[in-house]
Amino acid sequence: MYEAEIPERMSKEHQAYLKKVHQINVSVRVCQIMIVVAFFGLWELAGDMKWIDPFILSQPSRMWATFIQLLHTGNLMYHIYVTVYETVVGFLLGTVLGTLIAIVLWWSDYISRILDPYLVVLNSLPKTALGPIFIVWMGSGEAAIITMALAISIIVTIISVLNGFKEVDEDEIKLLKTFGANRFQILQKVVFPSSIPTIISALKINIGLSWVGVITGEFLVSKAGLGFLIVYGGQIFKLDMVMTSVLILSILAALMYIGVCYLEKFFLRWKLA
Amino acid sequence: MDDYIVSIKDVSMNYHTIDGETKAIDKISFDVNKGELLGIVGPSGCGKSTVLSLIAGLLEPSSGEIYVGGKVSYMLQKDYLLAWRTILQNAVLGLEIQKKLTEENKNYVIDMLRKYGLGDFLNHYPSQLSGGMRQRVALIRTLAVKPDILLLDEPFSALDYQTRLAIADEVWKIIKYEEKTALFVTHDISEAISMSDRILVLSKRPGRVISIHEIKTSGEQGPLNRRKAPEFRDYFNEIWKELDVHV
Repeated sequence: MYEAEIPERMSKEHQAYLKKVHQINVSVRVCQIMIVVAFFGLWELAGDMKWIDPFILSQPSRMWATFIQLLHTGNLMYHIYVTVYETVVGFLLGTVLGTLIAIVLWWSDYISRILDPYLVVLNSLPKTALGPIFIVWMGSGEAAIITMALAISIIVTIISVLNGFKEVDEDEIKLLKTFGANRFQILQKVVFPSSIPTIISALKINIGLSWVGVITGEFLVSKAGLGFLIVYGGQIFKLDMVMTSVLILSILAALMYIGVCYLEKFFLRWKLA
Repeated sequence: MDDYIVSIKDVSMNYHTIDGETKAIDKISFDVNKGELLGIVGPSGCGKSTVLSLIAGLLEPSSGEIYVGGKVSYMLQKDYLLAWRTILQNAVLGLEIQKKLTEENKNYVIDMLRKYGLGDFLNHYPSQLSGGMRQRVALIRTLAVKPDILLLDEPFSALDYQTRLAIADEVWKIIKYEEKTALFVTHDISEAISMSDRILVLSKRPGRVISIHEIKTSGEQGPLNRRKAPEFRDYFNEIWKELDVHV
């Protein structure tokens, strides 16, 4: 973007400045790539040279082989699908329900005050402790796993979105009142739109939390999914399978995070104008 | 003086908090005539804004009677343009809330924006405009709902001095041109004299009416011209004495 739009009338000094900015950007990217390459390269080398035991620590080439093998014979795509599906559903439910509950609490300060201590307790409770309860209630399957993801993300969503709502400028609300706005219009025209940055940062946290919920859930109960592959690989001492699954997991999580960042760019385009 | 559009009789207002009760204004009475620009001056915290909020119906008085014979629209201290809305979307906010966003009303707003030099910025965001331009958008947003009475609460206090003089002149012209009645709160005596047809002077808290001045200057009218008028100083000194400012 820096090179493409240099008009001819730009001064030498400004050109030099843009060039420098561009150079730094490039060198940051080069370093990032080099770290990945060096990390996997060293890992591979260390395995070959017997500095480490590939049986315990695996090795990139072995992970690649496992990846291909899982792809052909191990239903890898199915496992990925299961985990992504559970995560996306848990994430969306957590975000939507959390936001709806936050709206209710914003609407009624009275209810909000009553529920406040319960939210505090639920927020500090490690939700994974509820895992066995969900399994008893919902059976050892998808429903329990999604509930787990939901449980982990919903309370944080409620608290952070509600805080966002409460931080809205009182005078902007007054402005709407001067035009005779009702409470729903205040929510729709000011409170919700001005909380979108807060909601999006809640989304970013939620994505990570949903992954935690799903993987923990899969550790506990599942018969499919990346969490299952990790646990199963550990049990049969196939660290190649564990490492491969972890790597796939980190790539998927990063992709989803990038997705939310695009969403942010779209919703906050007025900030860029 | 019977052609009034707003009438305030013996109005008092108390605010309640856990820590106690504050008397903001105490038995205020005054009328506002149709088509006049009434300035309200007083020390800070004397309940000037409270008076406007009462007329706008945002607050209920503790006692007294308020008569408002027309549609009211309120302009706050800062422009409060919503950052995620374009200039046009901001200007029609009031119409939108009052569910009167017809094609006709929208064109009325667009015409006003064009007339007051914002025609090229309809689809810009507020952050792209200067302070003075933003203030004009806020005024147009206030006028868009076609009010009979405008309430202006220190509308220029967020602007730098140069812009403030220029915008005050412009706002005065717009109000006179659109033939509105306006109540205008300020703590700036010069600004009040330059803009108002009459000035209401309030005491410090609890606010009481000290006096009402009819402002008449020779020569051309309008805030910038008035500041040059020979009577300007006399009005200033008179009101200054009444306010009895001690630092």
